[in-house]
Amino acid sequence: MFSIISKCRPLTQFSDVSKTLIALSSQSTAVLKEKSLREKDVLKKQIPECRHVYPEFLPDPKVEFRNVIREKLERSDMVARRTQIDIGEFYVGSVLAVTSSDRHAPGKTHRFVGICIQREGCGLRASFILRNVVDHQGVEILYHMYDPTIHKVEVLRLEKRLDDKLLYLRDALPEYSTFDLNMDVEILPEGAPIPVNPIKVKLKLRPWLERWERQNLMGVQDLELPERFYIRAKERETPWEKYDLMKEYMRTIPEEEQLEIFSGVQNELHKLESQRKKMKRKRIFIKPSKLA
Amino acid sequence: MNQAEVSKLVSQLRIPAPSRLRKFRNPRGPEGRLDSLRKTVTALVKHERIELNFPRAHETRLYAERLISDAIRYGDCHKTTMEMADYWLMEKQLVHKLFKVLVPRYENYNISYTRLLKAPRPYPGHEIDKGVLELRGNPYPSLLPDTSSNKNLIHNVLLEEAKKAYRTRKYAEIAARIDAAESAVGLSKPEGVEDVADKWEPAQKNDELLNGGDENKNT
Repeated sequence: MFSIISKCRPLTQFSDVSKTLIALSSQSTAVLKEKSLREKDVLKKQIPECRHVYPEFLPDPKVEFRNVIREKLERSDMVARRTQIDIGEFYVGSVLAVTSSDRHAPGKTHRFVGICIQREGCGLRASFILRNVVDHQGVEILYHMYDPTIHKVEVLRLEKRLDDKLLYLRDALPEYSTFDLNMDVEILPEGAPIPVNPIKVKLKLRPWLERWERQNLMGVQDLELPERFYIRAKERETPWEKYDLMKEYMRTIPEEEQLEIFSGVQNELHKLESQRKKMKRKRIFIKPSKLA
Repeated sequence: MNQAEVSKLVSQLRIPAPSRLRKFRNPRGPEGRLDSLRKTVTALVKHERIELNFPRAHETRLYAERLISDAIRYGDCHKTTMEMADYWLMEKQLVHKLFKVLVPRYENYNISYTRLLKAPRPYPGHEIDKGVLELRGNPYPSLLPDTSSNKNLIHNVLLEEAKKAYRTRKYAEIAARIDAAESAVGLSKPEGVEDVADKWEPAQKNDELLNGGDENKNT
């Protein structure tokens, strides 16, 4: 018995120190764990925003086109390109100005202002279409977002429209897609939600490029078609498709995968965003000039 | 080249997702396909175990998994999820079952919510594979045989041999101990007087010891 106690004594002597050490280490691990948990929570909260702001970072949901390594390499390339040029947050319906190099243009660069009518593609193949009416002629330019010939992408007016694609502007009256080439940047107050423009567009008379009456468009005024068009549209519609859970699943990327994808590029994107905010603040501040 | 749709968040399926869906030719087209599938989903939620053709079982399983995962993710206050449940469950009392019985059951699952097994083909009949589709955690007896009590299974045989080896080692140890004790006593006592009695007593002790050892090992 005595021997046991004597053996135990050194342990008890050290116990205070060791206890504090253990407590410290456990505290530190707990703090670390809490930190990592908090970071994870923050990430999880930011991801719903991320998927709207950077939809091209998500891969093509079609299984045949998937390749995990290629996607990862593409993402790192995209982030690298974004450190070179500032591609801001924009949506279909926002007005952008893109400056790109053009060897035939007088100053070797070309600036085009227009409304974004479509965003498509993922990875390095992501693209958007800008539309404007110049000299009574509708002009559309498809830009690849990560094209190295692009110098600058400015978001002049940040807003959304009621539809995901505005291809019907091609059949609309020209005033709906006419934007001043010397438009100024409209600055939104910080932290404000992205405004949705509830404008309803008036289409020209038929013939059209597509059968707009069948597409359930929100941003279009009454189409003023004969009754037979609506009857046919009613026949052709597929109301059961929205209940097809598997089709819906195969059109999206599940949340677990999105979390993995965005956690890989979150830090860099966040840095770029904060840089952009700083630049914006600088731009807003105009030095008062002395009036004579 | 398409962009992934981002309007709705979904949970990942716990079973491998197919690259394409089965067509299931139907005179009413895609609507008829979904209609027959939802009959099967309703039956699955109602009976918890159904036997049917394998391709249909496989397809139904995907839809049932999606329905349950959405119900877990969004709950019964989410309008779209409720509409989905209303469409996929044709008997309306099953909507209550989905949100009040199945969601609590599967909330903490890390594996799929359903199990799909291949069933034997009926001999005189169509040459089509059959399957049994069931919800996990159902009240029926298991379809798979209980393999933990089969003596001829390799792990049970090995365990039995390990027990035997342990027992022989213990016997040898005890015998050695007795021999040592005997030799110590034998030096002071005259030889050949109480040999028999000495041999008997330790034998009983040995038994006790062995039993005790076995019990310890079992626990």
